[in-house]
Amino acid sequence: MSGENGGPMSGEPVFARARALLGANRPEQALTELAMLPASDAISAQAHHLRCVALAGLERWPEAADAARLGLGAGGPDPDLLRLLGRAEQELGHPQAAERALLDGLALAPNDADLLCAYARLCIADNQMDKASRLVERAAAQDPHAPTVYASRIQLAYAKGDDREAQRIAREFVATYPENPAAHALLGSTSAVRGQVGDAYSGLRQAAAAAPGEQVYAESAMDARIASHPLLLPIRPVLRFGPLKTWIAALVVIYGLRALGLGALSLLAGGLWLVFCVYSWVVPPLVRRWVRRNWHG
Amino acid sequence: MTDDLFTPTVRERPVSGKRPWRPESIFYAAFFGGPLTAGLLGVINGRRLGVPAPRVLLTALAGLAGFGAWIVSAATLVDANNAVRLVGSITGALAWLVVIAFQRAPFRAYTYGDGEPAKLFLPGLLTALGLGFFQAATILVVAR
Repeated sequence: MSGENGGPMSGEPVFARARALLGANRPEQALTELAMLPASDAISAQAHHLRCVALAGLERWPEAADAARLGLGAGGPDPDLLRLLGRAEQELGHPQAAERALLDGLALAPNDADLLCAYARLCIADNQMDKASRLVERAAAQDPHAPTVYASRIQLAYAKGDDREAQRIAREFVATYPENPAAHALLGSTSAVRGQVGDAYSGLRQAAAAAPGEQVYAESAMDARIASHPLLLPIRPVLRFGPLKTWIAALVVIYGLRALGLGALSLLAGGLWLVFCVYSWVVPPLVRRWVRRNWHG
Repeated sequence: MTDDLFTPTVRERPVSGKRPWRPESIFYAAFFGGPLTAGLLGVINGRRLGVPAPRVLLTALAGLAGFGAWIVSAATLVDANNAVRLVGSITGALAWLVVIAFQRAPFRAYTYGDGEPAKLFLPGLLTALGLGFFQAATILVVAR
């Protein structure tokens, strides 16, 4: 594709191809392309920037952080590189270094929705929900329909424990971006949290189909597929309503029958409930193992 | 409006921190082990999650209050051992509601950060058994 006819390639076409590959979510090939750059272009800020985006896409965080630092060294402060550095440092478990990078970025571009959302996510992980809310609000004021704003609002609602709201925003996200795999993935996972097994599988399957390179989507789709297995049909109420409501319902039935003087029926209901508990404890791991083996084999 | 928005506020994660349990799972231990089980597991988990001290204290108080209510009701419910057991489960579940109210959000924040929760099965079972016997014995001595 490049460089066969001898002399060193000039930078610009390589950069263009790398950008196109990144846009098509093919970071591995973008890296290969960038490796063809002549030495003078290979150490440019632009090369480090594109390499950093590719490495972040591949979740190779230590290298992504290095590429971001090299890019900042070569080209000076840049909001997007600082955002990438912040993300990489967060993934590497250095929240304070991540915060420094993101704040440096925000000092340059205080209204950048991507940076504001990246910082909001860091605050969520640090359990600072209030500050995260204000950051997301500020980002939404700049660009209410940016995908990153939708994703951050969903994550924030989920982290606050408001699953219904998270799912509602995810529906909005899918309605605005019907082609966006992340939107489908978020609708799928917020449905899974609410125990809506069918919606969860359909959302995550669409995400995995639209972005075949994303390992996370494939894994989640697989989990959703397991949850929708017919053998797990009996435990869906527990997923749907949570343990508290299911147990209350069971106890109302068991003790209600007894209070009505139907001792035998109450005993039967209690026995069935016991069997159900054992079933919900033993069967799911078996189904998981079985489906996984068939999936890979 | 901008106040602390652009100043550093993120804390370094404690290095030797023990992994927390999934707060939803504490329900089962609380159901079978009564309110003190909910309180004790809630306090330990709250500390692992870095829940503010007043809330950890409230979790402990919820467990103790549940146990108090259980003793009182055991003294009033004249002769129905089944009902006394049921009250233990109900007060346990109520104490768990306090645990989940304080710990769901910090736990989800934790899973954003590094992920995997610790397994509650064995510690939960042992606590439920130990404190279950303790509570039953106390009720037997005090209220029956």
